Amino acid sequence: MARSKNQPTTSRALVRRETISGYLFMLPSLIFFVGFVIIPMILCIYTSFFDANLTANGEDVFIGFANYVELFNDEIFRKALLNTFIIVVVSVPVTCVFSLWVSSVIYKLRGPLLSLFRCIFYLPVVTGSVAVTVVWKWIYNYRTGVLNDVLTNLGIIDSNVNWLGDSSTALACIIVILLTTSVGQPIVLYVSALGNVDVSLTEAAQVDGATDLQVFWKIKWPQMMPTTLYILVITTINSFQCFALIQLLTSGGPTNSTNTVMYYIYYTAFKLYRLGYGNAMGVVLAIFIALLSALQFKLTEEK
Amino acid sequence: MKKILALVLAMLMALSLVACGSSSDDTATDDTSDSTTTEEASGTDEEEAEVEAEADAEADAEVEETDSTEVADSITLWTYPIGGWGTEETVNALIEGFTAETGISVTVEYLDYTNGDEKVNTALAAGEGPDLIMEGPERLVADWGASGYMVDISDLLDDTDIAEINAAALDACYGEDGAVYEYPLVMTAHCMAINKTVFEAAGAMQYLDEETHLWNSSEDFFAAVQAVYEYTGATVGAIYCGGQGGDQGTRALVNNLYGGTFASEDHTSYTWNSEENIQALEALVACEGIEFDASIVGGDEIAQFYQGTLNMAFCWNIAQQLDPNTAGTGSGLTLSGDEILFMAFPTEDGSDPELCGGIWGFGIFNNGDDAKIAAAKLFIQYMCDSEATADAVTAANYFAVRDTVVDGTVDISDIWADNEIMNEYNILMQYLGDYYQVTTNWTAARYQWWNMLQVIGAGGDVTEAVETYATNADNGISE
Repeated sequence: MARSKNQPTTSRALVRRETISGYLFMLPSLIFFVGFVIIPMILCIYTSFFDANLTANGEDVFIGFANYVELFNDEIFRKALLNTFIIVVVSVPVTCVFSLWVSSVIYKLRGPLLSLFRCIFYLPVVTGSVAVTVVWKWIYNYRTGVLNDVLTNLGIIDSNVNWLGDSSTALACIIVILLTTSVGQPIVLYVSALGNVDVSLTEAAQVDGATDLQVFWKIKWPQMMPTTLYILVITTINSFQCFALIQLLTSGGPTNSTNTVMYYIYYTAFKLYRLGYGNAMGVVLAIFIALLSALQFKLTEEK
Repeated sequence: MKKILALVLAMLMALSLVACGSSSDDTATDDTSDSTTTEEASGTDEEEAEVEAEADAEADAEVEETDSTEVADSITLWTYPIGGWGTEETVNALIEGFTAETGISVTVEYLDYTNGDEKVNTALAAGEGPDLIMEGPERLVADWGASGYMVDISDLLDDTDIAEINAAALDACYGEDGAVYEYPLVMTAHCMAINKTVFEAAGAMQYLDEETHLWNSSEDFFAAVQAVYEYTGATVGAIYCGGQGGDQGTRALVNNLYGGTFASEDHTSYTWNSEENIQALEALVACEGIEFDASIVGGDEIAQFYQGTLNMAFCWNIAQQLDPNTAGTGSGLTLSGDEILFMAFPTEDGSDPELCGGIWGFGIFNNGDDAKIAAAKLFIQYMCDSEATADAVTAANYFAVRDTVVDGTVDISDIWADNEIMNEYNILMQYLGDYYQVTTNWTAARYQWWNMLQVIGAGGDVTEAVETYATNADNGISE
């Protein structure tokens, strides 16, 4: 095919120059990425095969898979893993469904009203996690908390409940806080995704007599799949890595009822200084996240 | 291909968060943004040196004699918030004196108890620890000393020093290997407190001796709790067990009630599974006015006591008595102005409580630089055994571990003479008990303790829980 006169001439030198420029632009990020992500990740896997600690005298001793064997015999780790899965299984679907519902209600709004709702739901995301946690700690306070006051006045409970101090309620309380801080970003993303759905398709469907549910399920939903997949993966990872809430509110208690894998990793590595064991937990957690993400990819692909 | 790439990226995100935080080579904590450096001294002023106390010169000579190596002209000090030693202005004033005398500049970094340990540990792992650190034996001796990071500073202690320093405090500064890893400066005895105003209104003051700050007996302690509970209709005191913060209070309460102990005398095993401690825990569980509360830690308990929600606090010491809840609203007063009375923990017959001690001083990290170590030793001698010691002690807001310094020539026993509260609190110092926080594997044992309290508070069998968790702590020792 003859080249158009206006088509720019490309030469090897130009390609090389552009390639070099591209890499130079990437270099600062690449250095940080390699230094703070790739190398620590490799070290994490490597150290998990050692009895590594922080003592000056002790040499790190290669112990093969001993950390991994110990891990699955560790009752607290199993409990932490179970709690982590409960958090994920509850918070991911609830976050996704709730944010989709809110988005579908508000996305047609225009102007200040839409901005107002976006702000309201996004506020917990941009508020510092420590500040959010402190507020919730006061809400849940056993003796002077507003939640107990409200529920007592409504006649729902007879006497104060120690929300964070009772193993039967503590994890649920953590999940509630997690939900409030998790829905903001998905709502913004869904509002954007819904706004980008091709109007001509929905109008054509409506002209053909499709119901609202059919329009949503057959036309809007498939077009939102990439957004949904992104939200699912991010929410899942965030839920797996739930740490600050636990650290600030319950320290994993009472009786390990809110202990999560992330908190247990922190405790093992930075309180007991068992770096090898902590890193082994990190590797296992990463594998679980990868498996779950793969499952999500698979399921959304089938859809 | 894109799916695989996306999957790998998801895995990377998860793994990197873990790896970044736990790699032993992580140097991210090398943050000196909080640090302050004292003005570099132009050098030792010879004229000023001549008029320095003769004893100081002797002390310096003593160090030079024991260590003839070169002395570095700058060192780093990391300090936990031990009274004014956590305040830049106070520390700078102390260090200016040291720098003026020795010509050694000191860079200070201020740690907190939330993240301080991680900061120190990661710095040590990266080989970038400070030269000096100020804290207590549970970290300096049982942790970093036992791990081989600290320098043996026994050469700083001559016979006179050993005779002058409080024996219990000094004993806690020795590692299992016989080395000295901390030079103690100040100490206090942790205690409990009651809302005296409420106790008076409830007629509960009859169960204690206000003058001696002792309970009449364990039985009377529970009678007092019952009286206040009936008067207020609310929880009187909380066995806080949401974490390790302030856990010395709950240990002291349980150990003292019927004469139990927490660890063996030689600090090699945990003994809290004794009949006495089981009896104490069962009595606390049965007491209406006392609640096991896994939603709070010591700091929260202090806040609730200060607010008047609780009328008894088990996490108390002189610092709290001077400034309850660090709120600056008046010494010995709650938020509403009720009077706070500090008390020893109750014992069965009302005598000889054993109070958990707080002992703070300096330790030197072995960074492989003899000149820095020599300079750090000079710093310790200046702060702990010189005419400047009185200022170093008052800065900490605690009691000196000795009455005299510089070979008995300088009396510092009256540094709190004008402070009524400190004088009154001094009555508790005689009850300073065994410093068991240096028992091997202390961190893991602490974890077992408050987890055990959570189980008991949730209705678990006391005997079974005590046995299980004490055994866990002991198993930790053998690992």
